Amino acid sequence: MNVVIASSSIDGGIGCWDLQTGAEQLRYKTCASPPHGLASIGSSFLACSQLRDPSATSGHVLYWSWSKPQAQVKSFPAEPIKPIAANSEGSYIVGGGSSGDIYFWEVATGRLLKKWHAHYRAVTCLVFSEDDSLLISGSEDGCVRVWSLFMIFDDVRQQQASHLYEYSFTEHTLRVTDIAMGYGGGNAIIVSASEDRTCKVWSLSRGRLLRNVVFPSIIDAIAIDSGEHVFYAGGRDGKIYIAALNAESSPSNNYGLHIIGSLTDQRPVTCMAYSAEGNLLLSGSEDGMIRVWDMKTKNIVRMFRHSKGPVNNILIVRLSYPLNRSESKVQASSRRHEFSLHPPLEKYANSSDEDIDNKTIITLPDTIDLPSYLSSQLINDHIKQLQQQGSSAAAEMEVKRLKLDGQRSMEMFQQLKKVYDNLQEFCVNELLDGQPMDGSKGN
Amino acid sequence: MYDVGLKPSMLRSLIRQYLPAANQPLDLNTSCFELPKLVSVLQTHRLLSELDSHSVGPKLINAWKLAVDDWLGCLLSLLSSDMSDKCWVGICLLGVTCQECSNQRFLTSYSVWLDKLLSHIQPPSESQLVKIASCTSLSDLLTRLARFPEEGAASLLYTLITFFPASIHHSYDKVEAAIASKILSGKYSTITLKKLGYCLALLPKSKGDKDSWSLMMQKILISINDHLNEAFQGVEEEAKSDDARRLLVTPGKDLPSPLGGHTSLESGSYNRTSSERLPTATISTLMFCCCKMLTSSYPVQVTAPVRSILALVERLLTVDGSLPPTMLPFMNSVQRELICSELPVLHAYSLELLIAIIKGMRRQLLPHSAYVVRVVTRYFKICALPELRIKLYSIIRMLLLSMGVGMAIYLAPDVIDNSFSDLNSPGGEDFEISPVNTGPVLPQPSNRKRKHGTKTGSVEKQEGANPKGGESNIHQMTPINVKVAALDSLELLLTVGSASKSDSWRSSIDSLVIRTAINSCKRGWGNVENNVFLPNESASLWADFQLSSLRALLASFLAPARVRPPYLSQGLELFRRGKQEAGTKLGQFCGYALFALEVLIHPRALPLDDFYSAYHNPTDGASNRFPENTYSGSQKQNTLFFSAAQRTDEGAIKSHNDDLYNKWLENEHNAVEDMKDKTSRPNDSSLANVLEVSEQEPAAANADVHMRGEDEMVVQPRRLEEPIPKSQEIVSAKVDKSPPAVGTNLEGGEIESKKALSASDSLNDIDHDMLSGVNKVDDFDTVSRKTSSTLPNVEKGSSSMAHLESESSMDSFPNIVDADPDTDSDSV
Repeated sequence: MNVVIASSSIDGGIGCWDLQTGAEQLRYKTCASPPHGLASIGSSFLACSQLRDPSATSGHVLYWSWSKPQAQVKSFPAEPIKPIAANSEGSYIVGGGSSGDIYFWEVATGRLLKKWHAHYRAVTCLVFSEDDSLLISGSEDGCVRVWSLFMIFDDVRQQQASHLYEYSFTEHTLRVTDIAMGYGGGNAIIVSASEDRTCKVWSLSRGRLLRNVVFPSIIDAIAIDSGEHVFYAGGRDGKIYIAALNAESSPSNNYGLHIIGSLTDQRPVTCMAYSAEGNLLLSGSEDGMIRVWDMKTKNIVRMFRHSKGPVNNILIVRLSYPLNRSESKVQASSRRHEFSLHPPLEKYANSSDEDIDNKTIITLPDTIDLPSYLSSQLINDHIKQLQQQGSSAAAEMEVKRLKLDGQRSMEMFQQLKKVYDNLQEFCVNELLDGQPMDGSKGN
Repeated sequence: MYDVGLKPSMLRSLIRQYLPAANQPLDLNTSCFELPKLVSVLQTHRLLSELDSHSVGPKLINAWKLAVDDWLGCLLSLLSSDMSDKCWVGICLLGVTCQECSNQRFLTSYSVWLDKLLSHIQPPSESQLVKIASCTSLSDLLTRLARFPEEGAASLLYTLITFFPASIHHSYDKVEAAIASKILSGKYSTITLKKLGYCLALLPKSKGDKDSWSLMMQKILISINDHLNEAFQGVEEEAKSDDARRLLVTPGKDLPSPLGGHTSLESGSYNRTSSERLPTATISTLMFCCCKMLTSSYPVQVTAPVRSILALVERLLTVDGSLPPTMLPFMNSVQRELICSELPVLHAYSLELLIAIIKGMRRQLLPHSAYVVRVVTRYFKICALPELRIKLYSIIRMLLLSMGVGMAIYLAPDVIDNSFSDLNSPGGEDFEISPVNTGPVLPQPSNRKRKHGTKTGSVEKQEGANPKGGESNIHQMTPINVKVAALDSLELLLTVGSASKSDSWRSSIDSLVIRTAINSCKRGWGNVENNVFLPNESASLWADFQLSSLRALLASFLAPARVRPPYLSQGLELFRRGKQEAGTKLGQFCGYALFALEVLIHPRALPLDDFYSAYHNPTDGASNRFPENTYSGSQKQNTLFFSAAQRTDEGAIKSHNDDLYNKWLENEHNAVEDMKDKTSRPNDSSLANVLEVSEQEPAAANADVHMRGEDEMVVQPRRLEEPIPKSQEIVSAKVDKSPPAVGTNLEGGEIESKKALSASDSLNDIDHDMLSGVNKVDDFDTVSRKTSSTLPNVEKGSSSMAHLESESSMDSFPNIVDADPDTDSDSV
């Protein structure tokens, strides 16, 4: 089932709805998130960074299991973390710090595997590439950077390289508000939005700007349609602009170059998500509502009420099991064990414990052993064996060897017989010649 | 043949014919060897199944039942015979019966069978064959039993418990000890040892908790380590063994009890004295066991000692038999020879272990990936044995696939270096044309010693096939299977990593790939079924090579690039020829390749369903869009388009498509005029290196444009009158406003393509015979003027370092199919 989860900057918990039926599911309590602070970790549980007081020098990250409304694990990173993201398997979580550092944790152990200085100012959004091998980060300083995780973990190469990142895009002049990545591995496009009222399309393969779209308003949220025909940009003026990627746009447009049209929300759009199933666009706005747009008809087909404050995160998560309340209890008991395995995220990289460093907790791949019958194969094998033993050539050799053996035995026998005969003759002679005493002649 | 009624009597005649009667002696040499035939008849006709009971009369059912009864009676009497050969026959066939008989019969009688089989396992006096057969049949019986969920689970447990008086769980240590002692003795055949190793690897499953897995893994690693310490004395520095040890056992923690209760050193030295050999068999079995543990499923998450396994792999791969410089050569040469002769096997298993780690860890390898890459690339530089190189290539492929783009950027140089040296070295494709070989069928191995396996086999093969090659060459030749592995790796590199930072290597790889493909195919196609006298591999090896080279070629065409694939025309030609080899894998692949390349030739980026009905504004210059539909049109769309030409809206909706890159890159240039200026530039040396390319590229291009026209004409004859005036009109209109004030860039690119195609449309009309006289094109001013705008693209397309401005036009350019006109028209 596909569920929509959403969180807000004021404490409204994490709302959860079934996208198909619109039915509200569990609401996960006590969550006030910064933008891009909500993540589903490999769809096995939810994580959200928390930032109640913007001026605080520390924040925390909470975990919820899908089946329980209360947060179950609380972590305290070294500095306030706003954006977080997880790879598709859910084995790693990255978080962006307000100092511009990026933190890289292993979920299974909670260990901080890496931390590196990525930006001059706070990190605002983090996105994994399709194959989880690249990480794209945006920052308050307007910079968008592409990192190869392989490089991040290669200390030797790092010393040789002049910089850690693969690409650094510096064309934005103000804070980066959102990043979306398209399809196509190394040939994908990256779309970034910024407070400088532009969205920029970057080529990952060439590492440069492909298109610059200037909007009438600041864009806080973007979503790419799955055909990469257009992207949607949610503005602070309450409009969702439709900008051309692949689509053509006429120059004589009301809004500007490359902008094809718009949908009108009433309130500023704060976050968006796109669902390829049914071509739906979800937009969250400042009034706490989530609107589901059918992009074919441009109509709102459903509304979810989340909270009074602005919704600032929307995710669409595909769950492999239904999230019914009745069943959630069963799930809870069966999943609690597994969930408790995830320790909180560590504050500092702790490299003193070498033993842990050398080991990794892994889930071994599922292999299926198909039952198979062996007897008919065995017959063939055995017969081959028998044939090898009984092959005429081998038999011939064997016969020859046996013949030789027999011959040798025969000779031996003859010899022994001779010796015996001699002996007997000798004894008989002795007996006859000597005293005629009676005695047996050696049996 | 399908008559059910015959089955009972068939079964009876089989019994008469094949089953030895209880009172007659069994003639091993005749009836026994017919058993496979008997089994195949039984299985083909499902004689024991007693199926179809609803569709046949009760009489037949009864007859069949009686026949099967007889069959079983015979088997059971064989089973209880004193003669072990008869017994063997009975047991084997009972196993087959377990597999084949009907459910009902199985359920009613399996307990009897079970008893019978068990009775043959227990007495120690039975012959080996009978015991093995009984075990196998028993296994089949249990397999069948496991399919009945309700009774099955219980009875399976029951049989296990009766068979092993205490279940495995309780005798865990004993089982471990028994298996370990057999492995450590190293005295069994490789296959047996592997089976034992597998059992040992699965053993922790019987407990199923986290610790028993880790403990077993640790024990095995320690045991391997101890064996290596002893074996590598003298060929590696002492410090290495200490390092390895420290990784394995955490200081301050207890050493686990040795594997199977033995101290491995004891058994190692025992082994050493009993035969003057390295304990290779033991070490490799233990490593195999590690592999299996890492790749088999396990009920809970486990803690894998990744670092120590990697260190073990690295340690093994570093030892190459040479003496470390710092050490005194106290090892005698016999010992060194011994080690050197065994090292390839150990290296092969180390690579297997590496593969298992990559498989088992998946994404979680990330923190260790740099280390793995370093081990692999370092070993790649020194590795020369074909079999090991093939393994290395497969590791490279796994890394590329599992670690994605981020890895590919950094792995590319090594992949390229190695595959370059492997593919460029003389070998495979060259000896085939040596005068000794007459036919197009390739390697004709002079020796048939296949038992050595591929490692030596393929080298020998080439020696045999190329006696004139000269002694010195032979050792540098790369066997074909290594080339296949290299090509496969290149293919993957192109698919995964060619988008990012590939400028430095892309053009050289493209030319390497086309060269290899052309070479591999120039002597006809390898046929798998060509020759019954050749060992199977050698013929299919060549077919594999061709297939791999064509696959790499397709990848090189499809991989993202900034310029039009320079060798596209030769490639298409190869694919077309290959496609005609119907019924082979290669033919199938070539068909697929042509299909996949169609998208390259007619790029399309279609909008989502009904996008235009929602957003398109009809007043928004539909007429502007009109001509590019012509360009983009696959033929299907063209039909739509023309019928909808008057209702322009719909036409635009249906046939809208375009290339993503064009549009963006057109932002960077406003160059319609520029392009025109360059038209006159002669077409020069840039094409010189292109293999077998036609000398007159412009001519070819013209011919092509014409070809397209021809194609379209044939397919859609009714288009002929309509389009010409329109398209020309539009072209002129467009040219007039070609430096448009707004949105220059986007529009500009489209104009080009429009013209190109409208030109082709006009060609259609003007001269149908142009195919024969390509040069005539120049006579038609209008035509040449229009087509001329396409020509500069051709030039630059082939010069790989094209200017950025022209890239767009390259991409957008409507596919010059430098096709051989003949083939093309054949395909129409």
